[in-house]
Amino acid sequence: MYIKGVGMTKFGAQTSTSQELVYEAVLEALEDADFKIGDIDAVVTSSIDTESNGERQRLFSSVVSSILKKKVPIVTATAVCGGGGAALWTANKLDYDNVLVVGVEKLLSNNSMNITDEIMMAAERIYEQTEGLNFPAQNALVAQQYMLKYGATTDDFALVAYKNHKNAFFNPKARFYKKEVTLKQIKKSPVVASPLRLFDCSLSVNGAAAAILTKDKSDVEIIGSSLFVDRLSTFESEDMTSWQATTLAANEAYNQAGITPNDVDVVEIHDAFTSVELISYEDLGFCKKGEGKELIRKGITNLDGKLPVNTSGGLKAKGHPISATGISQIYELVKQIRGESGERQVSNIKYALAQNIGGAGSSVSVHILKRVSS
Amino acid sequence: MIIRWVCGKCNKKWIYPIEKCVYCKGDITKQKGTKIKVVGVTKVFIPSPMHPIIPYNILLLQDEFGNRIPRKTMKDYKIGDNFILQKAKTKDAVAVVKVKYDIYEAIKEATGLLNGIELNADDKILIKPSIIAAAYPYQAVNTNPDFLNALLSVLFELGIKKENVIVAEQALIGSDATDAASKSGILEVCKKNGIEFVDISKGPFEEVESDGYKFRIFKEAMNRKVINSPIMKTNFQLVISGAQENLSRLVDEKTQREMYFDNIEKTLPKLAKAIPDVFTIADATNGMQAQGPLALGEPAFLNLILASRNATALDSVFCEISMLEIPPNNTLIKGIDVKDVEVVGNELDALKYPIKSANPHDSAHPDIKIIDGKACPACLNIMHNLISKLIGLRGTEINLVIGSMLTEDMLKGRERLVVLGDCAIKKMDELNIKSVARINENIDEIEQLVLLKKMLTTEGQPKITAVDKVKSKMKKLLSKVIS
Repeated sequence: MYIKGVGMTKFGAQTSTSQELVYEAVLEALEDADFKIGDIDAVVTSSIDTESNGERQRLFSSVVSSILKKKVPIVTATAVCGGGGAALWTANKLDYDNVLVVGVEKLLSNNSMNITDEIMMAAERIYEQTEGLNFPAQNALVAQQYMLKYGATTDDFALVAYKNHKNAFFNPKARFYKKEVTLKQIKKSPVVASPLRLFDCSLSVNGAAAAILTKDKSDVEIIGSSLFVDRLSTFESEDMTSWQATTLAANEAYNQAGITPNDVDVVEIHDAFTSVELISYEDLGFCKKGEGKELIRKGITNLDGKLPVNTSGGLKAKGHPISATGISQIYELVKQIRGESGERQVSNIKYALAQNIGGAGSSVSVHILKRVSS
Repeated sequence: MIIRWVCGKCNKKWIYPIEKCVYCKGDITKQKGTKIKVVGVTKVFIPSPMHPIIPYNILLLQDEFGNRIPRKTMKDYKIGDNFILQKAKTKDAVAVVKVKYDIYEAIKEATGLLNGIELNADDKILIKPSIIAAAYPYQAVNTNPDFLNALLSVLFELGIKKENVIVAEQALIGSDATDAASKSGILEVCKKNGIEFVDISKGPFEEVESDGYKFRIFKEAMNRKVINSPIMKTNFQLVISGAQENLSRLVDEKTQREMYFDNIEKTLPKLAKAIPDVFTIADATNGMQAQGPLALGEPAFLNLILASRNATALDSVFCEISMLEIPPNNTLIKGIDVKDVEVVGNELDALKYPIKSANPHDSAHPDIKIIDGKACPACLNIMHNLISKLIGLRGTEINLVIGSMLTEDMLKGRERLVVLGDCAIKKMDELNIKSVARINENIDEIEQLVLLKKMLTTEGQPKITAVDKVKSKMKKLLSKVIS
């Protein structure tokens, strides 16, 4: 399939309803594709049914039908934070000419305790939730194992945050657009779950993102699309410092695309936590195990580096509206491939990769996009 | 202990209990790791509704088989430390254990932390679950049948003979114990395990005096070792129905009424002293919160087993964990200072989160408020039955007055008082407080319902007239003819 159009709302603390967010993102995607809504044959949506936002709206496919006035197959694919990628993967498998994919979350609409609890519902109930293992804590334990095993430091994590904030500064859709964050601020930010600090964690925001997939040739082709699901709890894995769902999904996507990690020009990684970005460098094959820290230390993944990662600002600084995140990654890569990314534009892109994770490495999709020459 | 369910053939491991390997159909055995080390630690600074007290630590524990689990603690540990749970040093200690998908293991761990239940193979056992009304297990009104099943397995493993075990209970006065046991799933567990279910209300009882108070106690409870197995629930009268309240149904109906009439908070501790050998293992797997103890309450997924030789200590610890507010004059829960109780298994602060408490004035009907003078189970049962039949019928707010422990303060400023039950009527006379209606407990339920309905649907200060009485008698007659 090809990607004909993309759209997304600004990620932030807006009070719009989920319906309004969806509508805004879809409208932009339709305009971008020069499509009418009547051209759409099927829709794949993603949303986690957030209870704490007061919407209490569960049959989301029909909500989308009401907004878009579409009586076509509409299915919902959810995988918490990996929902957008799972929806894209599903859409890519459907045998329709034109498929709309849209992810949305109205997450930032309650106090932080309740939002923490909402997100914690994606953790295992008996072993994790009852032990207070919220997502920062879960990833803190993983980060600690990673540091112990490979000698990474909290300074490496801070560099990841700094890089992504610098990128978000140039992204008008990002929560931290035009907001400067210093390395000192990052390193001095309060500890959330040791060793992770506030600036190691992604931002809970509201937002929606949409993409239109077509069988008709366009300027961006999906040449690799893979989804793997693994255990829910990281402690079940033999090695907590490598997430198998990523390695499996990446290998399959590279095989489908007929490329290697060395061919990739720009990447959107699921940096729910800065430590996850380092681990993902390795699991996606951009370096050997344990060498992720070298990529960030040497600036290889900076905007002007050999392999720019999270040019959008990533989940860290663009924001992380759960089910919209995976599609917003595609939005960024499509814009990069087309050369429409303004001050954060990466030059000469042929291949772009997006990794979207649900849970702590539990559900991972990898998509590889290719610039199609006209 | 860290548990994994392992396939004996292909060695695949699960964190959940399964019976057959989905790959090779091999049999599953439990792998129990006991040599446990700390391999990771994080200190958490963000609160959540289930974990409101910060900071807390989460340890990553690993056993000799390489299996890992996270565990919350308020204590500081370092990577490399051994993780050992200390056993109780005092006789009144309370063990609190989280259930990790395996109630049987949790009961074993809880009793082990208390240095065992101290049973001999020939001991005769009476298990006293809470079965107060006919309700399904998911409603959390009665002790969970899975809990009872696990408890029986633990007892059998200790060598206790099934012919020496009985499960005994009586439902709330006015309800049938066997009906309740059947719907609760308890009867089925008894049958499956070859255990007799005994309806306590049928006796026999023996008179026992304790601290100057006379009880007619179920004889078997005096002659057997009692394993007190309440389900932990909120209770609009007593804050909770727990270890102490569960013992109140070990006496005959008359004694129960007397105990409430004479202040249940004072008589219950005396009863606890009168029963010679009680060990409480409480079911807080799916407990109850909000308007307990009957089905108006909500299941609370607490996932805990509590155990103690001291029922008061156990109740106090449960209230502390659940962050329930105890009224200053409550002598039942405050019979012991929780600070003086040794807690083993999990730390109190690591377990604390607020569950919904019961509002003592709320009923299932928005227009019927309750003024409770610690009514006995008989009146409670009548009250719940009557109110449940009026749901959906809106009217003018009435205050339903029940129980004998009424005071002028409780009734001050309250209007449209409808008094239910002989104890409350007697007490209102003593206090010389006027009511708009009185409903005796010995009149027929249909008559009671007609009277209460009139009170609810009539403005001002309605009176029960002779016509009302005739109408209710006719309705009663009609219902008899139809049935």
